Amino acid sequence: MKFDLSYTIDALPRLLEGATVTVQVALLGFLFSITLGTIIVLTRTTLNWRILNGIIAVYVSFIRGTPLMIQIFLVYYVLPVTGLNLGAFTSGILAITLNSAAFVSEILRGGLTSVPKGQFEAAKSLGVSGVALWGRVILPQTFIASIPPLVNEFTQVLKATALLSIITVVELLRVSQQIYSANYHPVEILSGAFIIYFLLCFFVSRGSVLLENHWRVRRA
Amino acid sequence: MMVEETKKEDHFLQLKDITTTFGSIVALNNVNFSVKKGEVVCLIGPSGCGKSTLLRTANWLTPPDKGSVSLDGVLVGSESNKNMSLNEMKVLNGIRAKMGMVFQQFNVWPHLDALENVVRAQLVVAKRSRKEAEEKATKMLFDVGLGEKIHDWPDNLSGGQKQRLGIARALAMDPVLMLLDEPTSALDPELVSEVLNVLKRLANEGMTMIIVTHELGFASQVADRVAFMEDGKIIEEGPPNVILKSPKTQRLRLFLDKLNITSFTPS
Repeated sequence: MKFDLSYTIDALPRLLEGATVTVQVALLGFLFSITLGTIIVLTRTTLNWRILNGIIAVYVSFIRGTPLMIQIFLVYYVLPVTGLNLGAFTSGILAITLNSAAFVSEILRGGLTSVPKGQFEAAKSLGVSGVALWGRVILPQTFIASIPPLVNEFTQVLKATALLSIITVVELLRVSQQIYSANYHPVEILSGAFIIYFLLCFFVSRGSVLLENHWRVRRA
Repeated sequence: MMVEETKKEDHFLQLKDITTTFGSIVALNNVNFSVKKGEVVCLIGPSGCGKSTLLRTANWLTPPDKGSVSLDGVLVGSESNKNMSLNEMKVLNGIRAKMGMVFQQFNVWPHLDALENVVRAQLVVAKRSRKEAEEKATKMLFDVGLGEKIHDWPDNLSGGQKQRLGIARALAMDPVLMLLDEPTSALDPELVSEVLNVLKRLANEGMTMIIVTHELGFASQVADRVAFMEDGKIIEEGPPNVILKSPKTQRLRLFLDKLNITSFTPS
């Protein structure tokens, strides 16, 4: 059997359609995961409640210690049992969010420790506290310090979305499967998907360098 | 009535019976310390003597175990209100803004340009409009000699410029008192004077200041009073030309001797 590029080219429009879903799921999942990760870090540092910290620690270690594929299955199959029927797309985003937030919260925790104590003190000495202290002074610096690992985490999320094909989210890999199960040319089709995934991740990583250069001057 | 008035003047800032401990270390041991309006006080002493802690007690950045602080008759904090309500926090924020603080490590905000560093607290705390805040900030930056640098990032400023930015940031809040924690200790020697000149100007304008410093020459020029601390206590205080030239206590004499040995004097 020889490699016939025309199959790849023919499939390209549909593959790109799948890729937009991939990007959508990844962006939404990552956006929510950054939000959740930030909330986790904030509750951990500002409230510092023992029980809450315990729950967060358990959550993070469970997410880190189990396969993402099982987490996806659990969200997809277990939530409907409790009466919550979200559908594949939403379940997929939720699973990605819950998974990624555990890593993002750890990344941000690291970023936060890189903000010197003096930054808090300078704000407090000027009467800046609470929401303004965190929102205007501390969190921006935390995010700037966390750009490289956050971008890395985003590429992880981008690739992890391929797993959502198993719960019927029609993203890039699922579309590929649909095409090659009809035309029996998996090599040509999967190669196309392979290249698209690579290009997506490549541009995200390049973007990271630009972001870093842009913000470098604003780091302590 | 007159007596009351003068008394209030004498105690513009009043730190009463302050005791602060860090674990087993007693940083401040029942210290009483007051500053008059318009007075410039320099705190000197060996490292670990409690001078920075005393300064940070004034704006409640380091709340003491015991004692109270008041500014112009208004309570800043006392040991009874360690766990503050949101309202008390608001009041404290207002008072803190009136006590400009300058740090050894500058602590300017690296993610904001020079202008924005000076603007931020004005918007959030003083509730000024952006236009008003920017005008004020620009003026403050010109006053400390950073007029050419208003859109520079802190990362691109020298140590002396960063410190002057820190001073401008504090001054923009129209403070009635300035607290300076070793403002020149982290600077290269050739940059020290640019910061000290700004402080001298402030002293001449009648700003009330407490300065923790190792620059005895500077202290003798600007200070109305020098207080020497050791082991969490104020050991000796008085006008600089008295206590720096003829110290009464053995401890101050030893401290000054040590400083003189380290400073280079060509023969």
